[in-house]
Amino acid sequence: MVDFTFTEEQEMIRESVRDFARKKIEPIALKMEETHKIPDDVIEGMAEMGLIAPTVSSKYGGQDFDPVTAGIIAEELSRADPTGSIPVFYLVQASWGHVFNKYGTEEAKKEILPNVTKGKWFLGIATTESDAGSDVLGTKTTIQKVGDKYVVNGEKMYISGVREAYTRGGGHVTIAKQFPEKGAKGMTLFYLPLQSKGIIPQYVDDLGREGISTGGFTIDNVEIPSHYIIGQEGKGFYIVHEGYEYARGLIAVICAAAGLKSLERGENYLKQRKAFGMPLAKFEGLQFKLAEHYTKLSYLRWGAYNALWTYHQEILGKASRFEVSKAIAMSKMFAQEWACEAIDDVMQWQGAFGYTRECVDQVAWRAVRSFGWAEGAKEIMKVIVSRELLGKDYTAYK
Amino acid sequence: MKILVLVKQVPDTTDVKFNENGVMIREGLQSILNMFDQFALEEALRIREMYGGEVSVMTLAPEQAKTAMQKCLALGADKAYHISDRAFGGSDTLATSYALSLAVQKTGPYDIIFAGNQATDGDTGHIGPQVAEWMKIPHTSYVERVEKIENGTITVKSLLEDGYRMIEMKLPALVACIPPPNFEYSNPSMSGIIKAKNKPYIWMKADDIDGDKSKFGLNGSPTRVVKMYPPPKRERGQIFTGDYSESVRKIIEHLKEKKVIE
Repeated sequence: MVDFTFTEEQEMIRESVRDFARKKIEPIALKMEETHKIPDDVIEGMAEMGLIAPTVSSKYGGQDFDPVTAGIIAEELSRADPTGSIPVFYLVQASWGHVFNKYGTEEAKKEILPNVTKGKWFLGIATTESDAGSDVLGTKTTIQKVGDKYVVNGEKMYISGVREAYTRGGGHVTIAKQFPEKGAKGMTLFYLPLQSKGIIPQYVDDLGREGISTGGFTIDNVEIPSHYIIGQEGKGFYIVHEGYEYARGLIAVICAAAGLKSLERGENYLKQRKAFGMPLAKFEGLQFKLAEHYTKLSYLRWGAYNALWTYHQEILGKASRFEVSKAIAMSKMFAQEWACEAIDDVMQWQGAFGYTRECVDQVAWRAVRSFGWAEGAKEIMKVIVSRELLGKDYTAYK
Repeated sequence: MKILVLVKQVPDTTDVKFNENGVMIREGLQSILNMFDQFALEEALRIREMYGGEVSVMTLAPEQAKTAMQKCLALGADKAYHISDRAFGGSDTLATSYALSLAVQKTGPYDIIFAGNQATDGDTGHIGPQVAEWMKIPHTSYVERVEKIENGTITVKSLLEDGYRMIEMKLPALVACIPPPNFEYSNPSMSGIIKAKNKPYIWMKADDIDGDKSKFGLNGSPTRVVKMYPPPKRERGQIFTGDYSESVRKIIEHLKEKKVIE
């Protein structure tokens, strides 16, 4: 039997988050385009509600939430914030909070995670570099053990939440080469506090999701204590994919929600706006577009929840890592495209207004477009699925 | 301090639609916790925060009202009493308040009983005062705030048409609450929702409460709904335009003509 219903508890979580988002996020969402900041009181409110890194254990201030429940929160935040800023703020910390919670040392978890779940610190992910994105093995940043500490050198680029961690506190789960000769088995994952001596941040001007910063930082002889190592030395390449897969599942939900929300705005417009003596909603050309987008985005939404459910099954020991990789990659493969196509049509329906900055849907389009790259380019999703179908012997990239 | 809050699940009437006959379209309407009751609960939780104690919630409703009760527990209530029995079918406010008053006495005693001033569906404002009358305890409606509790008394700020009055009552007492303007309702936190499922949830049947069973349900309900109909549509008012003084003069003349003023 297949049961697609959420539990009573999950429904209550959805209702509570939706109401919170309606009251606290919707009214300020578009203002973030100008302020370039998520308001402090929204972050405080999210923390009070338990919405920051809820995937973390309650021992460190989290909620012990499973991936599906984490997805419900992502969906509601996405519906409320067309800029995508708060969904990104949420998904990064939910995903990497999960990884930190699973692989971090007890000492590091006690020190860092309560500050994250309380909204004081930001926890991000830093793997991408100017010359290394999807090709993680191309990473040039290094980490070396010196005595009882580690020294990190290099740079990271196109990283979410740099300003947040640099100014509020916190840091990024970071990957670097420790044993270059060992390839994938020579990479180590660790927590890098962005307020460390030797970190110099820089920022890029993104097309959207203005409320959360994107940037990079140079890492000049930054010392970190040994308890900041996440997992074992040389295991970083494998562990990092668990975080990415968590994030990809959440992104798929976020894209579906953004697209469906845009379609809701579009439906209202089609009913109200008249042309040639009747509402636009009566034109079959537009009806069919609406039906197609709604169908694709509904499939996307359930595909995403299925992927997050598969992830949960793996946590419970009932699914393999490879099953998770495939389900997650399938869910994210078309997420950005389908959502952007739907939003693009909603902009089209609104005529010239759709091409103005007043139109909410162009804000949503710019936000969703970022997910064509974020946490794994859509091309990589196809590589993963075909690898799982054909086997590793047919994979061009190891 | 032992506190009880009486609550009700109601249809979400924030976006009500009517059919061509003026009858409310119930299809697709969500059920929610009555907003007056949520305010009463939040006031009760504030009192618990100040004076300590335990807050229980109670409803007399079909099983599906559990959703609203779970919300109360998620918001911070300690215990829930859910009275549900076919014997209560067709109850009007008199029969409902009678059964509730019995259940209150069975599960009590309580120092304070909170209730919403009214429910957004029936809008009678009967239940709170009637429960108190059955129990012969003091009560006040339109309470915006409990000001203090000391020496066995409770002082409440109650809304009047042209202001407020402060009322002191001996405990135990019942307060029927109305949210002040711009009251910001809390949302259940994630941890509150998780904790809610492990809190005591007590189901009660008609047999679990002592009393005169002939006063339960339809038999105990003197109210008869003869007919339900939407209020007649009002005709558009007359608009006086033009010079301000001239318009005022015309309005006065018009009102005199209609004998509204002399």
